Amino acid sequence: MQKKKNSRTVYIVALALFLVGFGTLLMAGLKQNSIYFLNVSEALAMPAEDIQQIRLFGTVAEDGLVFDPQHMGVRFMLADNDDASQRIPVQYRGVVPDLFEPGAEVILEGGYLIQEGVFNAKTLMTKCPSKYEAENRSG
Amino acid sequence: MHIIPYYSLLAALLLSLLAAAACVHQAWEGRSKVLPWVENAQIVVCTLVTISSFFLLWAFYVKDFSLLYVSRYSDLTLPLFYRLTAFWAGQAGSMLFWAWLVVICGTIMLFTRRYRLLSGQTRIFFWIFFLGIQAFFMYLLTGHQNPFMEISPAPLDGQGLNPLLQHPGMIIHPPTLFIGYAGFTIPACLALACWITGEKHSWIQIAHNWTLTAWIFLAAGIIIGGWWAYLELGWGGYWAWDPVENASLIPWLSSTAFLHTAIVGQGRKALGKTNVLLMVLTLVLCFMATYLVRSGVIDSLHAFGDGGVGNPLMLFMMFSMAVTALVLFFGPARDDRPLSGLTSRQGLLVVTAWIFLTLGLVVLMGTFWPVISKLWTQNPMGLDAGFYNRVCLPLFVVIGALLVICPWMQWKGGVRHGKWLAVLAGIWLALGVVLWVNGIRMPLALVGASAGLAMVVSIVMLFILDPSLRKRRTAWGAYGVHLGVALMFLGVAISGPYKVEAEAVLAPGEYMTIEDYTITYVGMETWSTPAMTVFASRLEVSRDGKIIGELAPQRRSYRTWDRPHAKIDTRFSLGVELYATLLGFTEDEIISLKMSTQPLVNWIWIGCVILCLVGFVALRTSKGKDRETNPGADAATATS
Repeated sequence: MQKKKNSRTVYIVALALFLVGFGTLLMAGLKQNSIYFLNVSEALAMPAEDIQQIRLFGTVAEDGLVFDPQHMGVRFMLADNDDASQRIPVQYRGVVPDLFEPGAEVILEGGYLIQEGVFNAKTLMTKCPSKYEAENRSG
Repeated sequence: MHIIPYYSLLAALLLSLLAAAACVHQAWEGRSKVLPWVENAQIVVCTLVTISSFFLLWAFYVKDFSLLYVSRYSDLTLPLFYRLTAFWAGQAGSMLFWAWLVVICGTIMLFTRRYRLLSGQTRIFFWIFFLGIQAFFMYLLTGHQNPFMEISPAPLDGQGLNPLLQHPGMIIHPPTLFIGYAGFTIPACLALACWITGEKHSWIQIAHNWTLTAWIFLAAGIIIGGWWAYLELGWGGYWAWDPVENASLIPWLSSTAFLHTAIVGQGRKALGKTNVLLMVLTLVLCFMATYLVRSGVIDSLHAFGDGGVGNPLMLFMMFSMAVTALVLFFGPARDDRPLSGLTSRQGLLVVTAWIFLTLGLVVLMGTFWPVISKLWTQNPMGLDAGFYNRVCLPLFVVIGALLVICPWMQWKGGVRHGKWLAVLAGIWLALGVVLWVNGIRMPLALVGASAGLAMVVSIVMLFILDPSLRKRRTAWGAYGVHLGVALMFLGVAISGPYKVEAEAVLAPGEYMTIEDYTITYVGMETWSTPAMTVFASRLEVSRDGKIIGELAPQRRSYRTWDRPHAKIDTRFSLGVELYATLLGFTEDEIISLKMSTQPLVNWIWIGCVILCLVGFVALRTSKGKDRETNPGADAATATS
């Protein structure tokens, strides 16, 4: 009986230590690696200095698309997924993914450059094209 | 014509419900007279779902574009192999495929020797749970996710299959995952049924082969997905902590935790509730994975649109967890033996399981963070890949270290072959120094990679020192799996942090350098097939002035897709693999090229192959009778 008690205490202490160490790690992660996930209309509603590091969701607008001649980047207008009148100009340097085209839903990571008035995307990811998705029921 | 497959599914739904109701009634009465009837009903359901599935395959085979699903995922020029595998290219088809596998699993279960060991009462409860799950699938397939919708008039040609999916990796990846998901259905239902009836046979033993097979397939599915991403997406990585990737990883983490607590549970009748809970949790997490991918709750790189499966899945998951909680906390009490000390092998197994569960929780929380954070912010907050790397990688490294040491522990405390363990520690340290000298200096990468190598040494040493290990097949299985894991550790620890990338714009005859390789651009070639036009660049790879190989990354324009796709090329190597993506080209043959070096990346795939193939060695054959494992013997082998 005594032995059982002892081993249980050891387990509880070990678990507590583990949780403290892990909790610290988790808190640091949550503090430093959490970024806003915004769609275009939400980003436009926020003060420009608050969107220095965000993940932005939107649709590539049909007009204003300029590929870098060397295909190493692109400038375009990003429209809100639901309200196409809400738009943000975007510049991106780097590899343009295969599925990037007007009308494609994209996910950007980066920040808004207040002087240039443009969203500078560090990463550009495309969502699968609608051909590959079920029709969205709401739209 | 399309009435037949749809009505087969409907009949399967009704029959499953009817049989489940019969089982509930019998359980209430405390009898099991209807068993033969229920077992036959299961066989009929299996036949019905098989008819529907073959019907869909046939429709793809004959290019029957009057079926919406067929016209959406195939076209006239799609090769036969991809036409048939388009079965699981979309939502409804993959649901049907998963359901088909579940139904088949249940039917196989009927004919196993271990099923016949169970008491009638346990079998009745088993079918209550299993038929309930089966009915849920049929409900989805006849409602939200009907793969047999028609379009009229039928189009002359289909929309074609996304070129990204036209890759062997993408063909194998979904079915392997689904086999894993489906395989966990049996152990989860068994766990609940045996717990309720107090079955004298250990459900862990009865379900052993199911659990292990499902786990292997799930692991294989996840890693094949990574391999596909590496070869097809062209960004030069295999894992991005994307919600869709995380979705399948979470059940794998919980099932891995279960595999470790199960060793403690089957040998010592300890951790009874924990094991039941982990098994059911794993199954529920499989459903949750589908929910995550299919409901659009979290925007992701390749989540499907909302096909309306979200709500029923969510309800189903909550219901399952509620039932499990009822069974465990208000069901009959079962005695549990206490655990040995923390420094025994048993203790370390429990710790390992904790860490896996913690990892699962972190990934789950991280994935749902945009939803969770809505509680206190107006604009959702999410977590980037850096979060997972910061929080998860240290935990994985701890698991790696445990893996080196754990097999040297005695079952109830103390170490075996203490002298040799000291030697192993020395070797581990030496390996670390060698890596350090070779420029591997990031702490996590250093510990992770040296632990991976030390694991290999540790396993080999144990097999030399312990003749009894060599005699047991299960030991070969368990240690073989860990050998695979060790190699994956090495690959992940080095390839992630030490990848080098370079981009350049080149005219024919120009060259670029990356690390100590020189890549010379020779020229372009173009050719056409009915389905696509291929633009291939020719690159010469040289090192120290000697030509060592060629690379030919391409861009392909498919007939049914507007934008050209990149087809990467690699120069295979067990050391540093070269990886080339053709980003674009102009009419005068000027290309923009992305090159990267991927050190030791192939060890990840090699480790995975070993893990999967050797894992099957650990399956139990039906030689002799099922013995209650002797904790000293079998548990010693299963240090997983």
